[in-house]
Amino acid sequence: MNGRKSSGKAEWLTTMPSLAWLALFFAVPSVIVLAFTFHGHTANGGVGEWSLSTWRELVDPDYPTIVWKTVRISFEVTFWSIILALPCAYAIARMPKRWRSVVAGAIMLPFWTSFVVRVFAWKTLLHPDGWLQACYLTWLKVCDWSFGWLPGFLQRFLVWTGFATAGHVDPSLATILDSETAVVLVSVYTFLPFAIMPIYTAAEKFDFSLLEAARDLGATNFYSFRKIFLPGVRQGVVSAVLMVFIPVIGSYVIPQMLGGTECILIGNKIFMRAMQNRNIPHASALATLMAVTVLVPMGAAMWWKRRQEARDRRKLDVRTNRLMTSGGAS
Amino acid sequence: MKRSYFSTAMLAAVLAFLYVPILLVVVYGFIPNGIAMSFYDASGNFAGVTGKWYSMIFTGDNRLGALMESFWLSLTIAGLATVASCVLGTTAALALHKWRSRLQSLHHALVYTPLIMPDILIGISLLMLFVACGVDCGFWTILVSHITFCVSYVVMTILARLQDFDDRIVEAAYDLGAGPWYTFFHVQLPILMPGIVAGGLLAFTLSIDDVVITSFVNGAGTNTFPTYVSSMTKHSRNLPAVFALSTLMLLFTCVLAGLSKIVARGQTQKERLR
Amino acid sequence: MKDDFLVFDHVTKRFGALTAVDDVCLTVKRGEFFSLLGPSGCGKTTLLRMLGGFERPDSGRIYLEGRDITDLPPNQRRVHTVFQNYALFPTMTIWDNIAFSLKLAKKEKGEIEEKVNAILGMIQMSEHAWKYPNQLSGGQKQRVAIARALVDRPQVLLLDEPLAALDLKLRQHMLIELDAIHDQVGITFIYVTHDQGEAMSLSDRIAVVNKGRIEQLDVPAKIYEAPSSRFVASFIGDTNFFSGEIVSVEGDYCTIQPEGFPAISAYNDKNLKAGQRVDLSVRPEKIRVTLNPPLPEKGAGINVFPAKVKDIVYQGVYTKYWLQSGGMRVSALKPHSRFLLDQEAITWNDDAFVWWHPDDGYMVEAK
Repeated sequence: MNGRKSSGKAEWLTTMPSLAWLALFFAVPSVIVLAFTFHGHTANGGVGEWSLSTWRELVDPDYPTIVWKTVRISFEVTFWSIILALPCAYAIARMPKRWRSVVAGAIMLPFWTSFVVRVFAWKTLLHPDGWLQACYLTWLKVCDWSFGWLPGFLQRFLVWTGFATAGHVDPSLATILDSETAVVLVSVYTFLPFAIMPIYTAAEKFDFSLLEAARDLGATNFYSFRKIFLPGVRQGVVSAVLMVFIPVIGSYVIPQMLGGTECILIGNKIFMRAMQNRNIPHASALATLMAVTVLVPMGAAMWWKRRQEARDRRKLDVRTNRLMTSGGAS
Repeated sequence: MKRSYFSTAMLAAVLAFLYVPILLVVVYGFIPNGIAMSFYDASGNFAGVTGKWYSMIFTGDNRLGALMESFWLSLTIAGLATVASCVLGTTAALALHKWRSRLQSLHHALVYTPLIMPDILIGISLLMLFVACGVDCGFWTILVSHITFCVSYVVMTILARLQDFDDRIVEAAYDLGAGPWYTFFHVQLPILMPGIVAGGLLAFTLSIDDVVITSFVNGAGTNTFPTYVSSMTKHSRNLPAVFALSTLMLLFTCVLAGLSKIVARGQTQKERLR
Repeated sequence: MKDDFLVFDHVTKRFGALTAVDDVCLTVKRGEFFSLLGPSGCGKTTLLRMLGGFERPDSGRIYLEGRDITDLPPNQRRVHTVFQNYALFPTMTIWDNIAFSLKLAKKEKGEIEEKVNAILGMIQMSEHAWKYPNQLSGGQKQRVAIARALVDRPQVLLLDEPLAALDLKLRQHMLIELDAIHDQVGITFIYVTHDQGEAMSLSDRIAVVNKGRIEQLDVPAKIYEAPSSRFVASFIGDTNFFSGEIVSVEGDYCTIQPEGFPAISAYNDKNLKAGQRVDLSVRPEKIRVTLNPPLPEKGAGINVFPAKVKDIVYQGVYTKYWLQSGGMRVSALKPHSRFLLDQEAITWNDDAFVWWHPDDGYMVEAK
């Protein structure tokens, strides 16, 4: 029954409900968004005549900065999530079976409280009166004092990652709340389980005796982790990257609640334009820009994967043919 | 089995990281001073622990009226969206599994693309649709939007289940004299049920938790629980009530999960006894 | 022809460029245990699926008890299938699995209970009635699948490699049980397999299928002893082929001159003429291996050839010898028994003799 090619009444009947629904509420709206970008806007929040003015306004020097910031933060969050998720997934997959489901459940349990409430808890925690703020200030002082001897590029890295202030900023003014650090921290907190789960699923299927075999052949722990385990769970890592990267690109609640004025991303701009300034064409144009930001790497990844598969298949064909022809003679 | 101490330590640290805010949610529900979110009163004296927010929730206190209203609205929408997306998702998954036509390629693309789109894009495009059609935003626009973004997740969950499904079982049912409807309701649906339930659970959590899409399509005055909370500021008077309510929800889901585990265990034991 | 119990009338089925079933004509008798035997991909499963109603032939008709069933959907023919992987309904108990077809036929409650209980007793599964399929072993699932298909007494029972997933011991046990069930219910069984042993031990008749065509249709002994083609001879059991030309005919016998081998005498049952090319098939168990040639009074008219022992494979029940004789590698079987040990043991690299009676070779016309 599977993979039948012929279409008939039964196929139409089973396909139509979801197809029509998604066409009406997903495909059509996407087209409308695209169409709106080629309109001007009117003063009272409506959509004006056909024009290219909206696209022209996007050249505003603010926007490239915001796009770049969004992409950079997305990469940062993805990087930290994967770095944290890999050993976690590995540890869970190596546990006795009974424990695995318990710990995996424990990882997902925080999601049974509302996302907004969790962000609120962070907001309270990070507030200048909160005790985390005190810890952070102490940490910054210790860092600035103890990292002074490190080479310049390392110091720059620490500043970039928010671990140090390089002495340029008075530590007492540095605050986590309303900063990029807060956005990255809470984004990692929010999306970490989505990074752990796909890697864990892949790791669970991974044959751990391969690691023992590698050890047996003389590989170090880290080497076998890098050369055997990582390629083994590659598929899981790829989906983990997508699971984190895509929502962070489009996130606006976390920057809005925790980023203050310092951390405004494309998501916030879209929301502002659509809901506060009532400039619908402008919001549409920004949304299109974001869609392109997401779809281009996705499309490239898919194209690459398909090409790789096709190449593998061709290689296999050639080899099989060679085997067949050489085997046919004997 | 050899275990790496490094990765186990990392896991412990990550679990602590994940649970600190949850712990805070529980603790904040007992805060007496709602304005300063503190256990100390204005003059700096320890004001103790209070259960007043819980009693306000249970007695239906008027001061929490808007909060509770948004909470019930969230539950209603999540329930309806779950049922609708399960129905749509099941038919869609069956069609995608059974046929490989051009229509299904289009169908698959339509189901799959919302998954790789950031929520905000779905939110704004739905807003544009409602603007273009001149629809007033409110309950129905929220419901429609929630069904739309839930369907894809439900389809993927059920499709994963269908992958393990042995198509011969359907053939066996036909072979023994069953028609397509009988086969669907008596053979396929029971086998797919765990997948549908899992998809439904996912849809329910996604819907009840959604703030991004809802904040685009809710219109003025209609608030779900998440949009209501996000509109509160840190100095809202009743903030601890939000935390108390969240604690209750967490407790409820934990009990539910525990119960389902116990029921499942009891069932296997019963089977063994037989 | 239509009066026969089950008839395939010039049935052809193509999948794209591949012709899975090629103009097959076939009749099956009522109550017969009929096997379709062939290598994987030969079209035997497609034949079965067309009979079950899961595939529709591109041309040709299928008749069951004189009725054209070619276009009937599976749920409207009283033909039930036992699937290779059993295809038991995982969400139903064994009892409900078996009662499935009876419930669909809207039988009365009492009748359903009676029939299900009776068949559960027959397959000795009464105490497992309330278990679920995943709680059963492979052999038990197999018996339930058979019971489920038999309970409403179909006209024909189709079995699609039903024993393929079982281990050897269980397979042998199930063979006996299947035979017993067939004797008990008297329903026509059509059995698809690639295992010649299964087909041989169960069937009343066997159809050997190759490349979508039926190569030979006969009783098991005939298929084995008198294969109609080189394919049948080599697919069913082991054999030695000697290809050559008939050089002379002497009464009932003829002499064949194979390439790279001395002349062989063979029984000429087909009345072939000198000059025709033939493949002579000699089964290994019909060839004797001894260190000394047979005594002259025993050896009159017998084929005797010197050979060197190249390989000895001990297989428990018998020992298999590979010998080099002329340009040929000949295989021969020798059972173990004190009785046959009339001479010293044969070992590797010994100079020995292979011999067989001309009646034990069977000639297949070369194409």
